[in-house]
Amino acid sequence: MTNEIKPIDMPKWGMEMSEGEINAWHVEIGDQVNAEDDLVDVETSKIVNTVTAAHSGILRAIIAHPGESHNVGALLGVLASADTSEADIQAFINSRGSAAAAPERTPVELTTVEAVAAEASVPVQQQASVGNLAEGEDDSHVSASPVARHLAADYGVNLNNITGTGRHGRVSKRDLEAAVTAAGGHLIETNNASPNSSQSGDDSQVKATPVARRLAEQLGINLLECRVSGDRGRVCKADVEAAAALKNKLPAQTTAAPTASSSESQPISSMRKTIAGRLQASKQTAPHYRVQIDAELDNLLATRKQINDANTQTKVSVNDFIIKACASALIRVPAVNVQFDGEQITQFADADISVAVAIKDGLITPIISGANNKGLEGISHEMRDLSTRAKLNRLKPEEFQGGSFCISNLGMYGIKQFDAIINPPQGAILAVGSGEQRAVVRNGELTVATVISLTLSSDHRIIDGAVAAEFMSVLKGFLEQPATMLV
Amino acid sequence: MQQYDLMVVGGGPGGYVAAIRAAQLGFKTALVEKQHLGGVCLNWGCIPTKALLRGADIAHTLKEADHFGFSFDNLSFDINKLVKHSRSVASKLSGGVAYLMQKNNITVIDGTATVADKCRLDVSHNGTVTQYRSNHIILATGARARNLPNIEIDGDLVWGAREAMTPTALPGSLLVIGGGAIGVEFASLYNDLGTDVTLVEAAERITPAEDTEISALAEKSFKQRGIKVLTSTLVDSVEGAGKQALALIKGADGDQQLKFDQVILAVGIQGNIERLGLESLGVKTENNFLIADPFGKTNLVGLYAIGDVAGAPWLAHKASHEAIVCVENIAGIEAVEPLNKNRVPGCTYCRPQIASVGLTEAQAKAAGHSIRVGRSSLSANGKALAIHEAEGMVKTIFDADSGELLGAHMIGPEVTEQIQGFCIAQQLAATEHDLAHTIYAHPTVSESMHESVLDSLGVAIHQ
Repeated sequence: MTNEIKPIDMPKWGMEMSEGEINAWHVEIGDQVNAEDDLVDVETSKIVNTVTAAHSGILRAIIAHPGESHNVGALLGVLASADTSEADIQAFINSRGSAAAAPERTPVELTTVEAVAAEASVPVQQQASVGNLAEGEDDSHVSASPVARHLAADYGVNLNNITGTGRHGRVSKRDLEAAVTAAGGHLIETNNASPNSSQSGDDSQVKATPVARRLAEQLGINLLECRVSGDRGRVCKADVEAAAALKNKLPAQTTAAPTASSSESQPISSMRKTIAGRLQASKQTAPHYRVQIDAELDNLLATRKQINDANTQTKVSVNDFIIKACASALIRVPAVNVQFDGEQITQFADADISVAVAIKDGLITPIISGANNKGLEGISHEMRDLSTRAKLNRLKPEEFQGGSFCISNLGMYGIKQFDAIINPPQGAILAVGSGEQRAVVRNGELTVATVISLTLSSDHRIIDGAVAAEFMSVLKGFLEQPATMLV
Repeated sequence: MQQYDLMVVGGGPGGYVAAIRAAQLGFKTALVEKQHLGGVCLNWGCIPTKALLRGADIAHTLKEADHFGFSFDNLSFDINKLVKHSRSVASKLSGGVAYLMQKNNITVIDGTATVADKCRLDVSHNGTVTQYRSNHIILATGARARNLPNIEIDGDLVWGAREAMTPTALPGSLLVIGGGAIGVEFASLYNDLGTDVTLVEAAERITPAEDTEISALAEKSFKQRGIKVLTSTLVDSVEGAGKQALALIKGADGDQQLKFDQVILAVGIQGNIERLGLESLGVKTENNFLIADPFGKTNLVGLYAIGDVAGAPWLAHKASHEAIVCVENIAGIEAVEPLNKNRVPGCTYCRPQIASVGLTEAQAKAAGHSIRVGRSSLSANGKALAIHEAEGMVKTIFDADSGELLGAHMIGPEVTEQIQGFCIAQQLAATEHDLAHTIYAHPTVSESMHESVLDSLGVAIHQ
């Protein structure tokens, strides 16, 4: 039956990802999982993302716990059918050799479906123990408080058997609990309806007070698993707290805090660490070489003025033109529009352009994806939004991860020309200097033009000198004759 | 050229809140203010008038003292002390805003700002112009009192709100032109301090934005206090006649010429949109206010408008809320909800106070709602009777189908403190049943809120 056992592995998001840290599981052992369901949040040096289920099945084991780091490909958990035996699952885990990640906890975690089923059946036992209270005719006419009536349903108690001491003989919650206790039953705090079955269904339709809903979200409680004792049939704060208290009594993973031994020391920010690691690797592994070219910008500046004067909603910058021109050049010279992980070259159909944005304590490269398909105005608005949110640390992972080419512009600082380090696994990066008026010789005559110096750093393993030169020449053409980007 | 991520023009309750929220989110933020931090609200509006109205309350209490067994002779009043109290509160709070700017690392730039270009601001101060660049510029320049074509504020015979809150002597007689919130507050204030007040309103009722029943109660109360209330009436002209003002008043009773020691003009406000460089950049305006989308965006890239300059309702808390919405939207915070104008409460600090939120009965009907209306009179409220302020009512309007609280309208003592209860109910989408099942403390004036809700369900207990 082992062919029915499906591993949940640490995924590889992006070529540079080598390991990930477990943040939180969305499901618990014993939960039925459908394909595409969210399973577990994993944090890498740059992002937090969610691993989704590739198959359906029941979550039978959790190997990787919150706070632990695991390599790409490591076993995080096991999905299997309900009839797969515990021994088979343990054998599977052993065969993967991943249990060593948390050997002392795995046995605790490997709760069987049978055990879950046993726990889930507790209310049935409860019903048996208060069995003499369960019988009787239809009790819908009995005067009882809504809470008492609800609890009676939970306990399986027929209200005809309860003596009401409330006003006009109404059965109160206290009456019901006293009767249950007298009959040898346990109160709801210990035997609420199978709390550790951890319902994971959509609870958005459950009637609940706003406070209860918020608290449930914070405590990871599904409102479906809460008793309902609030005003007018709503789940209230106390119900959520009761569900949470029950959950915490279980020997479940929620009680086990991440152990200190699995944590990493963080003397520098994770962003700085990422920058350091990636750029060092880039400089060491990718043989950089540079080609440099000057482009005259006077046509571009005139076009820019026309565009900006024509529409109050538009403020296209020179950088927006450079993004668009690079995208157009990458489509014309696709050999530069690549990623390389040391073994394989990935060729992209569209130009996803990373643009370096300086932020507090570092830099980040938000991406204008498919820039070849976008107009200047669209690029401009997108860039304004991306750079605003980059500075506030509010970019989503997909907005800065990936990219097939990078632009670094230091022109605003008055830098005339510089070299940049390739942002792996990309193959090239363009360093943009400041546009300035310079003396140029044209047809033997000395004249003045607005000139910008552009430097391309390329990875010689995949981009040869002639390709880089061709790219720069095409780029220069687009910048000097921006109308040619339209065709 | 200096550069910021976000710049705010105007240091009132829209602008300074925008700056603080931006700084909290991590924007490198600057605020440009040409005069006083705190804007009209702190310096020349909400706060100093409330300081004066506290004096009016005391005057009223002293008049009522005999009812409670107190009597005294030689009671005197020095209006200069009251004005001094009002000004000192204003300057104290303005200092508080300066502290908040410093605490949040917001650069405060003194001077007058002009939008020089897209994402460009020029600030002139003492003849020097400094240029700034900012991807996001929020205009929160506020508004000022409007003049009538035939009557202008001259600061002498005809006062605007500023002069009206810094009198050096109490006028014997006063004409207040405009029966909106500002007009009725000054009418109430000066009446309590002993001035003979005439209040003129062009519409058919005072506080025309409020529910008709509230307006009617306010007018009745004002008339009982000796304020002459002339509705459906226009002031045609005001001319100087010696030290007095001669006003030509046209109403239902025909034309009459009346003399007053002083005139207050309170006929609405207009946005401060001039000298900001907006015309040449093609920024759209309408009736002297800037046009902005629900998130404050104007038609110029990177330029936003919030608060009074962006249109009605002209209230400090509306400006502050728009500030938060605007900045959070720029920051890309998801699920930012634009301002819902039906959730903006309005408070008028005349005596008795008026507070309301949401739709009036007429508006609710016009919007096609099938409604359930509840009313409760303060004459049945124990606390109101105990404090001898049993004049007023609470009116609640619910959608009959959904139970949604469409509007709440209150008049009576300290109702401006009570309206929050209804605002919270609206925000939490409470139904009439939620409000009916809530326990209200006894004895309080706000128990009348409960009675009104119960009345809407036909189960009022105390009336």
